Amino acid sequence: MSKIYNLYFKILSFFVGLFFVYPFSIYSINNQLDSTQTVLDEIIITATKTERVLSSIPLNVSIIKKNEIEKTNATRLSDVINEELGLITVSDFGGSEGIQMQGLDSEYTLVLIDNQPLIGRSAGTLDLNRISVGNIKQIEIVRGPSSSLYGNNAFAGVINIITEEPKNGLKGNVTSSYETHNTFDNNILFSYKKNNFYSSVFFNNYSSDGYDLNPNDELNTVNNFNTNTLQIKLGQNLGESLKIRINARYYTQLIDNIAPNSLSGETFTSENNINFIISHESEKIKTNFEVYFTSYFGDEFLDDEQGDRFSESFYDHILLKPEIKTVYTINKQKEFVFGLGNEYETLNRTFFEIEPKQNSPYIYFQYDYNPNEKINLILGGRFDKYKEYKSQISPKFSGIYKIKNNESIKISTGYGYKTPDFRQLYFNFSNSTVGYSVIGYNVVENVLNQLIDEGQIANIIIPVEEFEDPLSPESSFGVNIGYDREIDRKISLSTNLFSNSAKNLIDYRVIANKTNGQNVFSYYNVNNVSTFGFDINTKYKADNYFSFSIGYQLLYAYDLDAIKAFENGEVYARLTPTSPAFRLNKKDYFGLYNRSRHMGVFKINYNVLNKNFNANLRLKYRSKYGLYDSNSNNYLDKYDKFVNGHITGNVNINKIINSKLTVSAGIENIFNYLDSENISNLSGRIYFCRIGYNIN
Amino acid sequence: MKTIKFFTISFILLFTFSCEDDNNIGIDTVSITVEDLYAPQEGSQGQSISGPFTKFNFEDGIQTESETNWDIGFRGTSIIVNGGFSLGTDDEPERNGNAAAYIFEGTMEEMQIVDTTLLIQDSESGYAIPTGSGNGWYTYSGSPTFLISPTPGKILVFRTHDNRYAKVEILSYYLGAPENPDAFTDPSRYYTFNYVYQPNEGATTFD
Repeated sequence: MSKIYNLYFKILSFFVGLFFVYPFSIYSINNQLDSTQTVLDEIIITATKTERVLSSIPLNVSIIKKNEIEKTNATRLSDVINEELGLITVSDFGGSEGIQMQGLDSEYTLVLIDNQPLIGRSAGTLDLNRISVGNIKQIEIVRGPSSSLYGNNAFAGVINIITEEPKNGLKGNVTSSYETHNTFDNNILFSYKKNNFYSSVFFNNYSSDGYDLNPNDELNTVNNFNTNTLQIKLGQNLGESLKIRINARYYTQLIDNIAPNSLSGETFTSENNINFIISHESEKIKTNFEVYFTSYFGDEFLDDEQGDRFSESFYDHILLKPEIKTVYTINKQKEFVFGLGNEYETLNRTFFEIEPKQNSPYIYFQYDYNPNEKINLILGGRFDKYKEYKSQISPKFSGIYKIKNNESIKISTGYGYKTPDFRQLYFNFSNSTVGYSVIGYNVVENVLNQLIDEGQIANIIIPVEEFEDPLSPESSFGVNIGYDREIDRKISLSTNLFSNSAKNLIDYRVIANKTNGQNVFSYYNVNNVSTFGFDINTKYKADNYFSFSIGYQLLYAYDLDAIKAFENGEVYARLTPTSPAFRLNKKDYFGLYNRSRHMGVFKINYNVLNKNFNANLRLKYRSKYGLYDSNSNNYLDKYDKFVNGHITGNVNINKIINSKLTVSAGIENIFNYLDSENISNLSGRIYFCRIGYNIN
Repeated sequence: MKTIKFFTISFILLFTFSCEDDNNIGIDTVSITVEDLYAPQEGSQGQSISGPFTKFNFEDGIQTESETNWDIGFRGTSIIVNGGFSLGTDDEPERNGNAAAYIFEGTMEEMQIVDTTLLIQDSESGYAIPTGSGNGWYTYSGSPTFLISPTPGKILVFRTHDNRYAKVEILSYYLGAPENPDAFTDPSRYYTFNYVYQPNEGATTFD
């Protein structure tokens, strides 16, 4: 596999090399560095699956536009997300960075590229570093459960990455950036559009030496890696009303793996997405037929010092999703959306008892109603049919009332769910060094009997009969209430109250003891979680040069069963690790792991338009949070160890030299904040420079 | 208060003056802290474990080599009692006493009266103090710290081999009971624990 990959990479490098030489290469920013006036035509598609003006949407939505991303010189989606209020990236132990949204974990946010879902959550998290932002038109964020349109995984919200559509003529640009740790990010984008045809090719190479925050051990915090993304878009109009489009994306990543005990190897992943779209448009009816295919493949091995294979595992996930969607506009006041589709999914991976295949047909509708110019109501719902677990009905209701032109209130409520993943159902894994076992819910009986036959089970704690009823999907119900106001042309204010109650969250527990003193684990529905709080965001444009934005989020995130355990006096702690234990009460419960109660974002932007110069500073604050239970009582309480509250800051300057050439430079993590024990994705101060060149 | 050093064990005897009680015929309960009782094992987790248990006698408050006059034994994270039957692992001593155990949920102070109906002995299917993280006396943190920590709120209640009672709170599994143990550098399998011993035969209270 890696041979093919190497060859592939060499060809691509050659291709890249034709255009520029590191690091004196060139890059550009297409748009102006800042837009002086408020953009009136911000169109969002994610909220309703129809094109709608952002300010008219009754849901909690936001857009991050291309020029904002360019100003910050972000290269990966994780960089962009990290600077948003109320969103943080959280690293899992494999180094993947996922999104925490409104206090809900990274497994629960659906991530789309051009309206289609990404797969490949091998340990639950979808790694945001997989996504280059080099060809992005905008990032659309919907906060709050959204399964009424998107079904599975839209539990906390949806992030949709919309890539650029070609503009008239032949265009091309190249960007190249170089950072500390020998990190390169290079982009080439060519697009062509004439009459009824368009096409574009985007290539990104992102590589780094990685870094090590703990030189004392033999492991690296982030290993040396190399990733490539190739995206091709084609479109053809067949007459006035018929369009055909194809979006294809190919991604590879190769990581040099270093493991304890002098083991080393490679982790290879690749991802393919192809979306084929036929759309037909008439005055009142627009119909889209799409067939989306995506596959995610991972292969990982470790060799010992002699070169003998120590371990190898693979992960091969496929999703095929045809969908037909019709938008029927009855009149200016009423619009219907109907959709019908099927998701076919298979997974083949190591440590699986079977090779699961799953077909889940679905149907959805949405009614969009404007009784008058001030009010918009949206009612929707979706039905997903499942065999392995309970079929899901996901309703939604939302409404907006425009008090004045510059003032509105809105409310949205919705249901979201996440089905048990294949790992939770079919896993069959025994750890070879420690000796514990993990069994998927649906294969408990088979695998346990196997272990009993082999004499490995000392006693059974949870009887097999408890696994007869299927594992339920995890579900959430969310409410968002927002108030937005543009006080004058200089100041705008946006606030949102949110609350999510999540049920049936899946955790694992001991189901049997093994004769080697270790345990057998399986999954079950247990946790009920509640998150609530508010966001407040203000923007202030001081003059033609300076603009500011400041945001604050308050967040409470609790496990309701934990609260009960504290109330019942079942939780104990020690003042020091070796002092006698005492009983805790409800006040001592801190909440869920990895949640900060307070979060703040502060941004200053300084623009000199006639000099084509821009400088900006962004700060983000997170109050203290706990990553794990350090005092062995299974809960996060005030006697646990916490990660200190901290501020991280990034600063940037951008200068347009001429219509073709732009140069940028900056520093990430300017305060050099480091916590090697707890925060693996902060490596200290990072310096970077970037050059861009427009070819046309 | 006096301190005695004996091999790797040191212990502190605290004589507490107890209230008068029907159950309590004269001799006071004894509070003792045992430090760094070493409980080695051969074979690591996941393999078959062997090696002699470190046997302990509550009345004397010391490690013992006696084959009969012992109450509990330690090997790695496993704790056995001198009562019932062997689980069948290598090098387990013969049970020839009447010891038994159960786990009380609460603080040391709250554990006042032994509920004798809960007492169980070791057997072919498992020890009276269950093994494995979260089942018995400890919690294993796993990645990234890999620490074995005594679960707060777990008091081990024992009947001794000769029908006395003791309550035990384990405090540390690492040498010197460090304030911030590090599983990579601090030697493990060194037990530090507090216990209260009721020396009157059959007396089930500790106050």
